[in-house]
This record gives sequence, structure tokens and C-alpha cells, in this order.
Amino acid sequence: MGSRNESGRPATRDLRARRREVLKFLGAFGLTAPSAALVSAIDGALQSASAQAAAGQPVPRLGVYLPNWPDQVELWRQLSREWQPLGIELDLQQGTLDTFVSQIVAEQKLPHMGSMSWGGAPDRLDPDYFLSEMFHSRRTARGGLNFGFYRNEAFDRLADAQRSEMDPAKRQQLVREAQTHIVEDSPSIVLFHRDIIHAYNKRRFSGVKPILGNGIGFPYMPLSYMDITPLTPRKFMRLTSIYDIASLNPFLTPEIYNSTTLRLIYATFTTRDEKADVMPWALERWNIVNPTTVDITLRGNTKFHDGRPATAQDVKFTFDFINKHRFPALSRIYETVESAEITGDLTVRLKLRTASAPFTANVLGYAFLAPKHIWEAVPSNLATPADWPNDKPIGSGPWKYVEWRKGEYLQLAANQDFFMKPKLEGMVVLPVPQMESMVGMLERGDSDMLGWNLDMTLGERISRNPELEVVRTPTHGQHEVRLNLGMAPTDNKAFRRALQHVTDRKKLLDIIFSGAGVVSNGAPITPALENWANPAISAPEVSVDKARAVLRDAGFTWNAQGRLVMPSA
Amino acid sequence: MAFWLFAARRAAHTAVTLVLLLLFMYVLFRLVPGDPTTIMLGTGELPLEAQQRLRELWGLDRPQWQQFVTYAGNLLTGDLGMSFYFRRPVLEIVWPMLLNTLVLMTPVVVISIVLGVTLGTWLGWRRGERIEEIGAILALIPRALPVFWIGIVLLALFAYELRWFPIGGMRQAFFFPETWYQELPFFDIARHLVLPVAAGVLTSMADPLMIQRTALIEVKHEDFMVHARARGLSEGAQRRLARRNAFLPVLTYSAIMVGFAFGGQVLLEVVFNWPGMGRLMVNSVSQRDYPVAQATFFFMAAAVVTLNLLVDLAYGWLDPRIRHE
Repeated sequence: MGSRNESGRPATRDLRARRREVLKFLGAFGLTAPSAALVSAIDGALQSASAQAAAGQPVPRLGVYLPNWPDQVELWRQLSREWQPLGIELDLQQGTLDTFVSQIVAEQKLPHMGSMSWGGAPDRLDPDYFLSEMFHSRRTARGGLNFGFYRNEAFDRLADAQRSEMDPAKRQQLVREAQTHIVEDSPSIVLFHRDIIHAYNKRRFSGVKPILGNGIGFPYMPLSYMDITPLTPRKFMRLTSIYDIASLNPFLTPEIYNSTTLRLIYATFTTRDEKADVMPWALERWNIVNPTTVDITLRGNTKFHDGRPATAQDVKFTFDFINKHRFPALSRIYETVESAEITGDLTVRLKLRTASAPFTANVLGYAFLAPKHIWEAVPSNLATPADWPNDKPIGSGPWKYVEWRKGEYLQLAANQDFFMKPKLEGMVVLPVPQMESMVGMLERGDSDMLGWNLDMTLGERISRNPELEVVRTPTHGQHEVRLNLGMAPTDNKAFRRALQHVTDRKKLLDIIFSGAGVVSNGAPITPALENWANPAISAPEVSVDKARAVLRDAGFTWNAQGRLVMPSA
Repeated sequence: MAFWLFAARRAAHTAVTLVLLLLFMYVLFRLVPGDPTTIMLGTGELPLEAQQRLRELWGLDRPQWQQFVTYAGNLLTGDLGMSFYFRRPVLEIVWPMLLNTLVLMTPVVVISIVLGVTLGTWLGWRRGERIEEIGAILALIPRALPVFWIGIVLLALFAYELRWFPIGGMRQAFFFPETWYQELPFFDIARHLVLPVAAGVLTSMADPLMIQRTALIEVKHEDFMVHARARGLSEGAQRRLARRNAFLPVLTYSAIMVGFAFGGQVLLEVVFNWPGMGRLMVNSVSQRDYPVAQATFFFMAAAVVTLNLLVDLAYGWLDPRIRHE
């Protein structure tokens, strides 16, 4: 195994090894058998991987972790075929998202490569996520997303620089340059950015607004529901979603579906428009005084849902409250904002701990205006105010809370006092844990909008219904194959580049997702985000000859059986 | 007296079983890799420092034995703990789901047993006739099919094609009655119940049916049945007598069936989008929401064990041949 683990934490490793023994034993009882099986599958993959490719020996079977989702299985059927001419063999290990999180992210046990699709959460629209979180060497620690152990000082410097560059034009340059390193070093094979496919009933509603990275039905960006106009006497819309929320307390949950749904009730300070550019929301404007000082101005006449006016007092309270209680879910806010000072009835000056380029998008777009008069009265005997039930959420957002029945529905009513008035009178979000049922409800007219990602087959079936409209929206989410740079042969740059040349991204997208998406240019940021994508980068040419040439130049050979042989030392 | 001794001993066994069960589940859930902070938060949504703080807030940073002592202590006062995922007391989460599940499973269990016993008696009575063979096969076919498949077929037919019934859920949010019968109380829940109950009955009816049939075939040739015939009892009266005497094994089986009903039927609940215990169980396990997962399994196990105890005790009363000496 790589040197990382040997220098790792021996005590914990022993403990974990022992724990695994116990687990395997208990697995016989049946209850934990599935988990135990997955753990040993991954361990097996690592063991075979740790039989490291020796110089001059044939390349060992490459361990591949993939989630057991049908599209991933199909993807690897294709990739195995495409990569075959290089003379390599794959050992596919299917797991669940649980195993991915607990083994690959938390324990950093990636076999040679791991396949993953990253959803388009709103904070990932900022280029910082797909650059720093995934490829900065700092994030090679346990729990970090750089689980392929990519390390490049030049890249780290650029990633850090773009993070603190407050001038958008300069930042754009840094972001684009950083991507050239990723393409050059190939720590990941970024495949494509699959479109979000949602559907709605066009006989009943119009004014549906697709938003880049959000589609029409996700709650991630509140702007998407604002212009929806009823065409029939019923003035509220029924929206289906796979998930239900877990809590009504906006300080509690870091989980993206829950937190964004609650932000329909609690207006964030900024949000994103159709092109995913940052726009003011609860704020009227912001002004970056210097890299660590930002003045923000609340919209005049803002009222909370209980009728009380919102002022700079509430803004200051919000930031102080978050700083005081250090809510884990809002860590990005307390880690960035040092203090908030009232400078007028509606204005507050924020002092930042460090310059933060994603500040307006990911801090102001994530922090929400909390009413002081409610949260200062939360009983102090709780370990944290995040544990307060908050049964009647009062925010200042475009939607007011009406009722939540766990597992059944969440009902919201339009807030006519919001600066941008919703055209609907209300919305009902119905959690339906099964895609087929969601489609059925839309087709039968039991729901009006399907707010979860459809595949093209279902999309095509829905679009045959004259009452329904299918909407495709590009997203920044991505499918990638992360390569483990901590073990041979994926530690070899030529090997990684050769894989890029035998990966036909467009064909994969066409076969698996009927072409519904944007083919990656090889960098982790989608070309659809024109501000941040590097137009000078294009995906490596698809050519087996070229791939073999790259390998040959790096000293790889092929044996009589056609298997790839490691370069001799 | 002997009966009370027996009852006390059985009750003590049951209590020990439940305590062991709690301990076993506690250990088992914690052996599954990942803890609530890693699993719930998904992929990299929380920085490590924030995750650590969450562990501290939730007490997950303390040694396992301390966590267990706290858990056990709380249990003694009837406190099942706080859900990590919902951050509400476990009972508040489990209770409504348990009720929902009972709304679904009570008709499933009752209808299955009544139908199973009736048809089982009928088939057993006609032992050796062609109709008995066909009947047994017909009853076993749905038993052999997965419940989700039956559910999907029923949905495809009666919900998608014919549109007689809704395609899922327990009630329709914002249902507006149009006719007098739609205004009847429970109309909405009732129409949502039809398909899942039908699917549930089709799959769970065969067990009581086959047990009753087998028991009846044995009973049929007992001396007291010959005696009954000799006394000139009518065929119907004979059958009733045989049915009652063949019922004991079904009763034992029913206890298990009812117990498992408390846990809900996961597949049934998923296919029909029923907000019940089964779904809660699966979600809480995959979210590593230990307190909720433990509570759901405990409720189910406790129901099975307790009902077994009751059945054991009731045996002596139901069957005069069983005596506690």
C-alpha cells in the first residue's frame, strides 16, 4: 500500500482492522452482512491494488470503485470496452453511496480509481469547489475530497490565490490557469455534465424559469418558482420531490435539500439568477470596501412573516448568533465573517477573517436573515439552538410556512410582502420516494411539477403527453473517474493521459444519457459556466493509437498476450 | 399455581431476551462503518472541523461505553433518545410512523388470517379433491411472487390504466370531495388503502392458509371427529369443530405475523409511498440514525416476543389438553 498509510495512524488502523474482524464475524448473523460484504469488497480491492505493479511486470488488474447505480454500471461496461485496446483489465467493485462516503471519502481508501457523479449543489457553482475541494493537497486528509492524492504546488498556489482574489477579472484568470494543471496532470477523467431534466404541466402553469445548475423544480434557487403563473382556477402548485425535509430549523441541517427548501422561507442575502450570476435577494446591494470589509444594505420595507419589520439589527444578530453558536451546518459563515457592525438603519459592515472570493455567492448566498425577536428568545437549556424544533418558522423569504406533515407534504403560501411577489398563491411539496410514482403522479395530474432529475427515457415518455413539458437545463454537476495517484500504475502521468485518449466522452454521454448533457473539456468546470471555464482547453483527442504512443514513449510495453507491461526501472 | 410459575418464568425469559436484544442492536449498529456525521452529510458538505464540532454536540466523540451507559440509563426512564437526523425525540418520530403502519398492516393481517383460515379450512376439508390441489397452488402463486412486483402490477392495472385508485401515499394532500360518498370520513384513506392492502393480503394469506389446511387434515381423523360424525353432527358443524381445533398453529403463526406487522413491510411501503415504519427503518439505518434505527427494530422485536409470550400463556386456556404442571 502507498506510503501514506504506513505513515498514517497505526493505532487507529489496528483498531479498525480489529473492528473489521468483529464485523465480519457478526456479519454471519445476517443483519450487517451487506455492510460487511462491502467493506471486505473494498478491502479486497485494496489488497489486490497493494500488489503494486512492479517494474517490468504486467500491469495488475485495476481496482475500480463504482456506485451500484444502473447508469454507472452501464458506464463501466462501456469504459471496459473502450479501454481494452490498451491491454489493461479492470476489477469492478460495486458499492453504495454509503460505502463511497464512509470508505473512500472518510477513510480515504480509493482503489486505483473511483467513479462518481457530483450533483449540482448551488455552492458548487463557485469554481472554488471543483478546484480547491477536490484537488488542493490540503484536502488529501481523511474526509477530504482529494481522495486520489493529487499534489501539485503550482496548482495549490493558484487555487489559494483565486480563493482570495476579490477582483472578478483577475480571479477568472487564476481559475482558468488552475484548470490547465488539472488537464495536464490528469488526476481525474472528467466525463460530462449531465443535464437536469425536469417536467411540469403546461396546461395548468406557465412562467416556468429554468436556471443554470438548478433546472425548474429544485428548490436550490428560489428565483425559479417566482414567475410561475397558474392558468386554471387553482392557484397553488403541487411539486414532487424524492426527499422530504428533516427539520424546520434552518440552523440545524447541512443537508442540501433540507437547507435550500428552508431558504424558500428564510431569504438568503443573495441568490443566483438564470445564468447563475449572483444577485441581491434580501439585500438591496453589497459593496466590497476592501478584501476583508463588505458593506451590505438590506432592502427597505422588508417584513418578517409575522409582520415585524426587518432591520440592520436583525442582520447583525444573524451573524453574531451564528458566530456565537458556531452551527456546524453554517461553518462557512462563521469561518469567514469575523464581526458585523451596524452602520445605519439598513446597513451593516461585515469584517471578514480573510479575503474570500466566494463570499457573495457562498456566504451571503447561504446565510439567511433570522428574526432577532424570535431566536433571542429560544430557551437556553438546549445544547444548541439548532436543536430547537422551530415548529412555526418565521422568515422573510418569498414563501411563508403553513404546514409540514412528515413524509406527506410541506405546504407554503406566497408572501405578498416580499419585494418580488410570487404569482402563485402557494406551493405544496410532496415527497415521493420513487421515480416511477413521481412520473405517474405527473401523468395522472396528481402533481403539477416533477422536481427531481429524470432520465431521458422517462423524459421522452413524458414529453409524448400533450399536457406536459420536459425542460432540460445544463448543470455544473459532473461525472468523473478519479484516479489514485498514490499507487501504481495510476501514479504514472503517461498512464493517466493514455486513459484520457481512450475515453470517448461524447459517445458515453450519447449511449448512457441519450446525449442529454455537456461533454467535458477535461477540466472539472463545465463549459456551460462561461465565466469560469477555460475556452482554451479542449478534451484530449480520442485515439487508441495516440494513447498507445503516449504509453510507449513513457516506457510501457505489451507482452505476448497483449497485456500492458510496466516500464522497466 | 403452576400456571403462574410458568407465566413468571416465561415473562422473565422475555425480559432477558429484550435486554439482550437492546445490547446486541446497540453494538451491531455501531459496527457498521461510518457514523451519522459522515453518512448524513453526504459527500464533503461539511468541513472536517465542523463535523468534529457536530460529533461533540451530539456526544459521538465520547467513548462507546459512556455512550452506551447514557443510552441505557435513558432507556430505563423511558427515554429513547434524540434522533440525529431529525433532532427530535425518537418517540415523536417513530410514533406517527407506527400508527401509519398499523393503519396499513391491521387490515392486511386481519384479512389474511380470516381469509387464510376460512379458505384453509375449506381446502383441508376437501382433502384429495381436484379443487384442493388447484386451490393450494393458486394460493401459493402470489406467495411466491415478490410483494413489490404484485404491487407494481396492481398499480399498473388499477391506478395507471383504469385509474380507479390513487398511485400511492396515505392520503391526498388537498383532496376536494366532489360527491357525497367522497365526503365520508376516511374515504380518502380508504381508497389509498385498497391496493396496498390487496398486495399485502395476496402475499401473506398463503401462510395461514397452508398452516390451517395442514392442521385441519390432521384434525379430521382424530377420534373426537369420528365421534362427532357418529353423533350425527351436520357437515357444517363438524367443519366448525375441526376448524377450531386446527386453529392453534395458526394462532402461533399470527403472533409472529402481527409482530412483524409492527415493523411494516418495507417494500410495500416503498412501492405505495406509504409513510410508515418500514421506510423509517431503512432510512434510519442508511442515515446511521442509531437511536431511531434501534427504536424501530426494538418495537418490532418487542412485539414479536411479547405476542409469543401471550400466545404461550393463552395456549393453556385455549387448549384444555395443555396443562402447566
